[in-house]
Amino acid sequence: MKPRSTAMTRVLFATALALLTALSGTAQPSFEAPPPSTAPVLDPAQRRADYLHRVDEVLDWAAGGGSAKTDDPAKLDLAMIAARLVRGRDLPGCSQRVIAMMQDPGTGPFWMFPSVCVAYLGRDRLSPAAQAAIRTAWRTTRQARGDTENHFVMYYISLYLMAELYPDEPAETWYSGRSSAENLAEARSFLIHWMDLTTTVGQGEFNPTHYIGEYAIPLLFLASWAKDPAMKVRGRLMLDWLFAELAASTLNGVLRGPNSRVDEGSVIERWQAMATYFSWLLFGNVPPTAGYSGWGLYFAPVARNYELPEVIYRIATDRLGDTVQRDRARVRRFWRYSDEDSPPVYKTNYLRRDYAVGSTRGGRIDPIQSHVWDVTWAEADPRGKHNTLFSLHPHAASEIIQASFVFYPEPMIKGVTFEGKPSYDSPDKVMGSSPYEQVFQDLDTVIALYDIPPGTRFPHINGFFAKDLADVTEDKSGWIFARAGRAFLAYRPLAGYHWETYRHYSSGWAKGPVELGGRLLTSPHLKNGTIVQAASADEFKDFAAFQAAITALPLSFRLDPVPTVTMTTLRGKKVTATYGQTPTVDGQPLDYTRWKLFEGPYLNAEVGGRKLTITHGRLERILDFNTLTSTDRVR
Amino acid sequence: MPQPVRLHLLFGLLAQLPFAAAAADYDFFVCANLNRNYVIGSKIVTTNGVYQRDAAGTWAHLGYNDTGISAVAFDPRDHHVIYTSALNGLWRSLDGGRHWRICNDWSMTEARDVAVDPNAPDHVYLALPDGIAVSTDRAQTIARRENGLPARGKYTQVLQVDRTRAGRVFAGCEVGVFLTEDGADHWRRVLPTQETVYDIQQSPHDPRHWLAATHAAGAWRSTDGGNTWEKITTAPSTNPLYNVTFDVTDPQRLALGSWALGVFTSEDGGRTWTDRNAGLPAAHHVWRVGVDPAGKLYASVAAETLFVSGDFGRTWQPDALAGSQVNKFLLLPRAAK
Repeated sequence: MKPRSTAMTRVLFATALALLTALSGTAQPSFEAPPPSTAPVLDPAQRRADYLHRVDEVLDWAAGGGSAKTDDPAKLDLAMIAARLVRGRDLPGCSQRVIAMMQDPGTGPFWMFPSVCVAYLGRDRLSPAAQAAIRTAWRTTRQARGDTENHFVMYYISLYLMAELYPDEPAETWYSGRSSAENLAEARSFLIHWMDLTTTVGQGEFNPTHYIGEYAIPLLFLASWAKDPAMKVRGRLMLDWLFAELAASTLNGVLRGPNSRVDEGSVIERWQAMATYFSWLLFGNVPPTAGYSGWGLYFAPVARNYELPEVIYRIATDRLGDTVQRDRARVRRFWRYSDEDSPPVYKTNYLRRDYAVGSTRGGRIDPIQSHVWDVTWAEADPRGKHNTLFSLHPHAASEIIQASFVFYPEPMIKGVTFEGKPSYDSPDKVMGSSPYEQVFQDLDTVIALYDIPPGTRFPHINGFFAKDLADVTEDKSGWIFARAGRAFLAYRPLAGYHWETYRHYSSGWAKGPVELGGRLLTSPHLKNGTIVQAASADEFKDFAAFQAAITALPLSFRLDPVPTVTMTTLRGKKVTATYGQTPTVDGQPLDYTRWKLFEGPYLNAEVGGRKLTITHGRLERILDFNTLTSTDRVR
Repeated sequence: MPQPVRLHLLFGLLAQLPFAAAAADYDFFVCANLNRNYVIGSKIVTTNGVYQRDAAGTWAHLGYNDTGISAVAFDPRDHHVIYTSALNGLWRSLDGGRHWRICNDWSMTEARDVAVDPNAPDHVYLALPDGIAVSTDRAQTIARRENGLPARGKYTQVLQVDRTRAGRVFAGCEVGVFLTEDGADHWRRVLPTQETVYDIQQSPHDPRHWLAATHAAGAWRSTDGGNTWEKITTAPSTNPLYNVTFDVTDPQRLALGSWALGVFTSEDGGRTWTDRNAGLPAAHHVWRVGVDPAGKLYASVAAETLFVSGDFGRTWQPDALAGSQVNKFLLLPRAAK
């Protein structure tokens, strides 16, 4: 993609915008403004200025009391206090509020990292009493470490930084009953272990739509505040690693492809994710989410300390044509009911100008929140757009949850629905993985096969047909065609179906579903399958030509004894996918064991290598955890 | 044999002698989670953790507020030394719960149970979702001891120390009951199961008599000190059994707790079992049953409260700890201090 505006034009635009903001007194937040340009900014100084301008926007919004626009110190949360500390605004009020809040501290990583943020920002700005109040809370209130990867990262970075901030203090001054040195050593040990794991076999919570913040924010703290130079470098390298993967997985700032952990909002409206906030902040090519995704407010006060490498920025904003990225990750730990502790995940993400197709191989991933595959398309303004098409088996079973959690079986399913995942036990849900789903992808062709044992709860598959699909046409050939932005889509259900209204859970704490438009293709057959083929509209004369091309594709399938599909794709590949067997492309079986940790035009890493090579055109940056170095060069 | 194990063999031999249970004095504890639907990040608005029931029938909170406590154990020499298994792993207090220390590092998490060997009381056993860890120094240090456990299937829900012999411990795992007789240097499977063993108990009346409750295979009994096991065919087995308990006042009385089945009791040593859910709230989803030193039967009923029965389940009355999930009832011989 070529820049559509010169650097000078952008400088003038930014200046005018700043002037306008100053004159109006209250700037329109970007989440309410028209979408920004998706063109890359090639001038480094301008790019940095744009980034800092966005950072300032967040800080101003938070310091101004957020959506409540309140000046009442009693209504400030820790994010607002952090912004005010950076701004130097009402510091006595901030101190008073901190003292009040520390009377009733939280328990766990979601309280720990905000309190660390305020503790560090307040070192020379909070009153001694306020600083002491934070320190006291870290003595009196037991902190739960949690039970997920992001919990542990937040917990240990927070503990590490507090132990460095208050070194040489005895065990009885910490909630853990361990001295500063002991806390520091344990936190350091975990963080190195986690980075080692992530840089050798991949992240467990891969490509999270929201949880990216739970990694990026504490890593920024570590990179900014760690006294140990090695840990500081580790924080910085991991941030680059995280953001490089984000950049390579986005299309116009919106995260694409499979995700380990999502919610319904970010499944059907792909823009609706904290990942988008980071795209906006770092790449500037998409509107941010409302309120800057809440937790995102904690990145802004320290964001000046981070400088996005140009190569990552260019990957996000300046695509060099169609890309296929094939990567590995891992499943969260299975404590029981599995032959493997943390099986590998094989991800494919195919990105084109107009659409993206992404998948894992299916099967058991995160039991509740994973998103296995989809086709998504580009929208000029993605806000409110349901730009995705996919199918899934809505699996819900206590054994699957028991594999990853330590609770008793029967109350588990209902318990999950009370814990921020209200759709888990709904037959019409659109989120989660199933052990009875196997997915094959080649470029923009997806074949998802299902072999659901008799007696399984929810014995059907759901296909999501978004409200923003146009001209949905059920062809007599069995294919269903649709327009999707500048893409054409074809969806082939392999068994009979009927339509149901899509019902959406608008938040983790929603009391019930609402209707936002869209339909579910519900297919009540145990042996089942879906084929999806996507193409750009400009590859065909018109929609009819696309349909004709699809119906002309050689295709055969059967569902018994197991689902199997043989077809020639739009791209001319002969593919065969059979449930329980290795798929073949042009007669060659796919060999997943040869997959690298990252492999594609932008990101490359060997399994076990602890080294990521990031490239864009002639730009290259190598993140090397073996030597704790980052090396840039122009090839 | 580890030195402390040998030292305490004598005490173990003494403990093998039959004793008059009613003559012993006991303390009665529960581990209760009172925060319904707590998730990491939520504000804890109630007091959770270890409670002790005093003679007047009042539940007194002991120590820290922790939503993740799964079990509690005490040093038999000094009940001011307390161990709790919890989300973070193993916590220890040396001063009756005023101060606590986390005893494990990041590699141990979501601990399910903790047990102290009464005949080697410096030895502390910790059940983990991926195995078993042991301390031989009152949890100052702790390390995994999993020799003999399978590579997969060592999810451990429960640990029970044989009070007759130091270093003899049973572990309820995903694939069965495992036994060590050398302080966890070696484990061997004495009861294979297809799915998790949820509870193991030793009779307070006859130390050779053991019971186990399982996910999919009902209840099991051993009368030879846990070396061999037989299924209690008369006990319900259609649904997971979460726990089993003896009655310290009567060797014939046993009780089972189950989410789907509620409360079942036996008053003839397990030959027959009776549904004792009448009087409990309709769904009678039971987390756990326990019996206090006076023979009162307790049932922790989900989304309700603790219920107590003075006639072993024939009638029930609501007790305290509304909204609680009791993860452990612990009947403990009273210590000198």
